[in-house]
Amino acid sequence: MVVLNFSLTPETAARVHDVLVCLGKFSDTVAFEARKERLTLTALNSSKSAYASFTLDATRCFESYEFNTSQSGSDGRFTFRMYSKALLSVFKGRLYDPLGRDGAIDRCEVSIQDRPDETHCRFIVKMICNQGVVKTYKLTYESVEVMHALFDANAAKNRWRINSGVLREYIEYFGTKTEMLDIFAGEDGRAVFKSYTEKITNGKEILKHPLVTAVAVNTSDFAEFDVQPGLHIIISVKDFKAIVTHADTLKSDLRANYSVPTRPLKFWYGNEHGILGEFTLMTSGDYQGGATPTPIPQQMPSRAASRAHSASVDNRSFRSDRSEMPPPSEPASRLSARRRATAARRQASPKPVESNPDSLFVNDEEEDAQWEPVDYNEEEETLGWDASTENANTVFPTFRDSGTLSRTETEDENVEAVAPTQRVSQVQGLW
Amino acid sequence: MRFKASIQNISTFTKLTASLNSLGPLAWVKLSDDQVCFTIIPEQGTQVWAVLSIDTIFETYTVQSAANNVINLEVPLTSLNRALKSATNATSAQIRLTKKDNMPLLALTIVTASSSNSYSAFPTTSSGIDGGFGATPSEEFGANNRETIITQEIPVRVLAPDTVAGLHEPQCREPDVHIILPPLLQLKSVSDRFTKLALVGAKSGPGTVTSRTRLEMAANMHGCLKMAMKTDSMNISSVWTDLSNPELDPSQVAGGEIGISEHPSTRMKELGTADGRSEEGWATVRIDARDWGKVMSVGRLGGRVIACFCDEHALILYVYLPSDNGEDESVLTYYVSSYSA
Repeated sequence: MVVLNFSLTPETAARVHDVLVCLGKFSDTVAFEARKERLTLTALNSSKSAYASFTLDATRCFESYEFNTSQSGSDGRFTFRMYSKALLSVFKGRLYDPLGRDGAIDRCEVSIQDRPDETHCRFIVKMICNQGVVKTYKLTYESVEVMHALFDANAAKNRWRINSGVLREYIEYFGTKTEMLDIFAGEDGRAVFKSYTEKITNGKEILKHPLVTAVAVNTSDFAEFDVQPGLHIIISVKDFKAIVTHADTLKSDLRANYSVPTRPLKFWYGNEHGILGEFTLMTSGDYQGGATPTPIPQQMPSRAASRAHSASVDNRSFRSDRSEMPPPSEPASRLSARRRATAARRQASPKPVESNPDSLFVNDEEEDAQWEPVDYNEEEETLGWDASTENANTVFPTFRDSGTLSRTETEDENVEAVAPTQRVSQVQGLW
Repeated sequence: MRFKASIQNISTFTKLTASLNSLGPLAWVKLSDDQVCFTIIPEQGTQVWAVLSIDTIFETYTVQSAANNVINLEVPLTSLNRALKSATNATSAQIRLTKKDNMPLLALTIVTASSSNSYSAFPTTSSGIDGGFGATPSEEFGANNRETIITQEIPVRVLAPDTVAGLHEPQCREPDVHIILPPLLQLKSVSDRFTKLALVGAKSGPGTVTSRTRLEMAANMHGCLKMAMKTDSMNISSVWTDLSNPELDPSQVAGGEIGISEHPSTRMKELGTADGRSEEGWATVRIDARDWGKVMSVGRLGGRVIACFCDEHALILYVYLPSDNGEDESVLTYYVSSYSA
């Protein structure tokens, strides 16, 4: 039997939302590992080339945190995983709103139902809202062993640290469909972030080639920059964007540690709010055969043999006897072998950078948007009226601010109705 | 073959590429000593022939080639627009034609010096609880003159003179009516709304979607513009009055004064009224409303627009970009052809 109860302030619940959004960019599922002193959320992508983890400190993150396990051989851990989409539908955006508008909560309480006398394992979230409304969500979880990536910090001599807001500016320059990011430490006091695509095209297709963007930054703009000059290291630009975007929500410095191409790279940041983000990514570095050679001795990871392992639920006795949370790693050979597959997969799902929905400022592009041709297929919430005669309940003509009515705009709708001519967003001053 | 220029007016260039991009993905760009031409010839829909004076967007401009110092390029507008957007806050931006791995590309070099770093203005302070995880709060960031150089490489295709020799600007007869259009945002929102209404239950009614979204545009020589849309179930129209019909310049019309007196628009002046209620004196074209929405995208450039109506034949829009010296005006010409009735 496992007892796991914790409660979150609205601010922290909103941060959990941000964390889930970030993890969702790596994998469909989020793995949890509960311990006495911390709760860790992790995601490993399908090609196992990127590992993301967020550690929530038990004393600093939670209003209250209680964890007990009586399971034998569980070495004081409880692990399970859930769909990130399911969690995101509970931990929505705007949980924290000082004005207490729609969606805002007063407190969030989470508990685990894992008792022999209950049929189902449930992850229960109670959102305590204003006016005493309590929303209870019961989600299913799967009790599994969690796989962590190992990272050998001793070998990672190259390191830098930079304000995440600055990096956030840089990633916005990158083209939308690029795949790779080359981080290059120049010999002239500059570091270059270059986003590109490795695809070779010819003929007319050349023009479809995505932008190649290089951002050259003075190393003095970094809070710390200690990288062997001439070193190129290549990661996925999509992962980088996900990490930077989230780091920026915490407004903390992003730190990178790495050794040589083909060895894992680690990004980490946070901790100001008791949330520590750590990411271990596979790297490559043979791009254009540039100054990739590596005088750094290839130190074998001190824990090379200790591959993090995965065991199924049925196999609980096989659980690791690690007392420490293991430093992450994947054997490098395996990582590089999977590179191709990863690249192909990434190409399929380029994610545009989302702008901050909570921003008070009018987006620069918004003004421009009114000049864009209208896409008549989009379904936006519109102000309309119900013109259907079949509806016997509607004795009186009523105005409805209805999202469903906008369906009549789609071409495959058979009901003849007059479409609303005005968007709700355009209506001003009526309410 | 050499082309190098610094971009003087990033905002205009960005808006121009965005407007053109709504009509087609690729532009034929012709760089010559005295002007820059952008031409969009989509497979279907409106053609744009834009002629810009050099200083509308560039300064310190050099172009050299074996073919009379003319360079013809095919440029993907989405990439160009995206690249230019990263120059929004630039202190300087340069563009040049270059080659990498034997592939021609336009390289855009942007220098930004963003000292406006909101995070440094409000440095993150420690929440007061230390230890545990080891990270220190972010230090106040050096906000003074952080200079960043951004390079954007846009793949292009160099077009041989023979390739473009066969491309000609459409020829059109003298227009029946010419009129200065009301603000394009107004026109656009009205036509967008008409289109939305016409698309209601598009499948249940007879006719294809295109025939339902046919916009009828008409104008007379008495300052009236009419926009109408008819479907089986509705007949909707808007009329603008008190617009102006610019006078023709005798030096620009074939035959001078005599040419003007015989010009179709002179005859159209005899017909119709200024309140727009008369049935006579209208020059009418039927165009695709979706295509019109794309054309209206040019409104973001904020130019003066003269529409020339050739009755039942074509609508030609001349968009004059505001210029500083008032001499070398930059003009974007949109050729919108009319459907038959």
